[in-house]
Amino acid sequence: MASAPVVKATVPTRPMPNPRARRERDEEVLVWPDLVFIEFVSAVLFTILMMALATIINPPKLDQANSDITPNPSKAPWYFLNLQELLLHMHPALAGVVVPTVALILLAAIPYVDRSHDGQGVWWGGHPKAVNIVVFSTVFAFIITWLLILYDNGTQDIIYNCASQPDKLWSCLKEGGTPGDAHHLPAYLRNVRGIQTGITWPKWTTHIPYMPFHQLKLLDSNFLNLNLPAWIVEQAIPLACMIGFPIVLVFLLRFRYGPLGVRGTMFALFTGFMTVYVVLTISGTAFRGEGQELLWPWQLKPPEGLGIA
Amino acid sequence: MAISERPPGQSWQDTVYDKLFHNYIWRSIFRSGYPNTPRNQALVVATNVFLHLHPTRLHRTHVKITHTYCLGGLSFFMFLGLTVTGALLMFYYVPSVERAYTDIQALESNVRFGELMRNMHRWMAHSMVLLVFMHMMRVFYTGAYKPPREFNWVVGVILLVLTLLLSFTGYLLPWDQLAFWAITVGTNMIGSAPVFGTKSRFLLIGGTEVGQGALIRFYTLHVIGLPLLAAIFMAVHFWRIRRDGGLARPL
Ligand code: HEM
Repeated sequence: MASAPVVKATVPTRPMPNPRARRERDEEVLVWPDLVFIEFVSAVLFTILMMALATIINPPKLDQANSDITPNPSKAPWYFLNLQELLLHMHPALAGVVVPTVALILLAAIPYVDRSHDGQGVWWGGHPKAVNIVVFSTVFAFIITWLLILYDNGTQDIIYNCASQPDKLWSCLKEGGTPGDAHHLPAYLRNVRGIQTGITWPKWTTHIPYMPFHQLKLLDSNFLNLNLPAWIVEQAIPLACMIGFPIVLVFLLRFRYGPLGVRGTMFALFTGFMTVYVVLTISGTAFRGEGQELLWPWQLKPPEGLGIA
Repeated sequence: MAISERPPGQSWQDTVYDKLFHNYIWRSIFRSGYPNTPRNQALVVATNVFLHLHPTRLHRTHVKITHTYCLGGLSFFMFLGLTVTGALLMFYYVPSVERAYTDIQALESNVRFGELMRNMHRWMAHSMVLLVFMHMMRVFYTGAYKPPREFNWVVGVILLVLTLLLSFTGYLLPWDQLAFWAITVGTNMIGSAPVFGTKSRFLLIGGTEVGQGALIRFYTLHVIGLPLLAAIFMAVHFWRIRRDGGLARPL
C-alpha cells in the first residue's frame, strides 16, 4: 500500500509583526456617557443645520428634462466637475476613465506602500516636518494647477497682447485681450492645443500605422493610425504633467526639508492630490461659464453656471 | 422586583425611579437598569443592539473632538438621515419620464413638509460627500491607515466610491434640465473609456441616450442596490474598527 503523500503545507504569515497599542485601562473612559453624549449633540446640531439649510435654500427651479435643448454650459454634478475640468485639457478617455481609476487604485494602495507604524493615531504623526510638508505641497499644487489651467486657457497670450499696448492695458485685460491688429504670441505658445495646430507637422506624423495591429485589423478604426501631434497634445503632455510635477514636488521638499521617508512622501503626494482635486473642482464649478470658458464666478449665470444646489 | 442599585424607599423620587426603571416591562426591554452606574453604563452599551457598534470603553484621546472631528460618525448619520428622508420621498415619486418631474413639483407644492423633505435629502447628500472626503483626510493625516488598519482604509475607499455613486444616481431622479444634462455629461465620460466605453455606457443607461431606461436603472440603484452595498460595507467598516483594536493610537 502506498503511503499517504507528504503534504508540505506552508502557512502564509503576514510579513510584518502586527502589534497593537497596549490597553491602558486607567486612561479609558466609558462610552456611555462620554461618547454617546458627543454623538447625540452632534446629531442634534447637524439635524438643525440641515433643517436650516433646507428651509433657507431651495434647489434651482428648472424646466423638465428635454433632450432637444442643450443648456450651455452643461455640467456634471459638482463632485465630478474636477473630471469635467480635466476633460478640457486632455484626451477624454484619459480624463474621464484612466485618471480616476488610477487615482482610486493609488489611493487604496497607500497603506500597502507606507507600512511603518510610526506616528499612527496622532495628527501629523510620522514625520517631524509633517505640517511644513503639507503646507508646502498645498501651495505648490495650488499654484501649479492654476498656472496650467491659465496656460491652457491662453492667458499668457492675453497678457502679452495687452502688455504690447500699455496705454489701454487695463481695459484690454478686462476685455480679455483685443483681437485684430494686436500682438499675439506664436500660435504654438497660445495653449497646449497650439502645439498641434500651430506647427506645420510633416504629413506622415499624423498617420503612423500601429504596426502590427494595422495588418491584423483587430482594433477599430480609431486605433489603426496614430496621430502623433494629437497624441502629444492630448496624452503625452498631460501625462508628463501629472507624473512630472509630483516628482518635482518631492525633490523640492527633499531639498528643503531633507529626506522625506515613506510617510513624508505620502504626506506630499496625498496633499498635492487633494489640492489638485479641490482646485479642479472649484475651477470647474465656479470659473467655467458658457462654452466652458474661464470666467470669474460673478460672471456666471446661475443655476447652470454653478451647477450645484 | 429586580435588584435595585439604590436603597429603596428613602423618598418619593426613589420610589418613582424604581417604578420607572426597575419594573418587569422595562427590564424585559433593557436588560440593564438605567445607566447611572459604571456597571449599567458598560452593560447598556454591550447589550443594546444599536449601541453595541461601540466598544464599552475607549481611550480618552479618542473622545477628544479634535481627534476625529466626528467626521466618520457624521457621515454615517447623514446616511441614516438620507435613508429616512429618502423613504418618505419614495411615497410620492414615480420613476417614469412622464411623472417624475411633476411628482417632484407636486411634492413641493401639495405635500405638507414635502419641500422640506426634498431639500433635507438634497443637503444631506451634498454634506455626506463632503463629510466622507473630510473623514478620509482626517484618517490620512492621523496616520490611522497604518497596520493593522490597511484593509479598513480600502473598505473606506470603496465607501467613498459608493457615496459618489449614490449621489450621482440620485441626481437624475428630479428629471429636470439640470439632472438630465448632468447625467448626460457624466455618462459620456464613461462612454469615452477605451475599448469597453460605449458598451458600459449602454449598460448603465439602458440605451444610447438618457431616457426611461436610464431613469429606472438609476432609481433602482439609488433606492436599493447602492444603499444595500453601502450598508454592507459600512457594517464591515465598523466591525473592522472593533477588530483592529479600536481607533488608531501610538504604539
Ligand atoms: C460612507 C462613508 C464612511 C463612513 C460612514 C465611515 C465611518 C467611520 C466611522 C464612524 C469611524 C470611526 C472614527 C471616526 O469617526 O473617525 C471610521 C473610522 C475609519 N475610517 Fe471610515 N467611514 C467612511 C468612509 C471612509 C473612507 C473614505 C476612508 C478612507 C479612505 C475611511 C477609513 C477609515 C479608517 C482607516 C478608520 C479607522 C480610523 C482610526 O483608527 O482612527 N472611511 N469610519
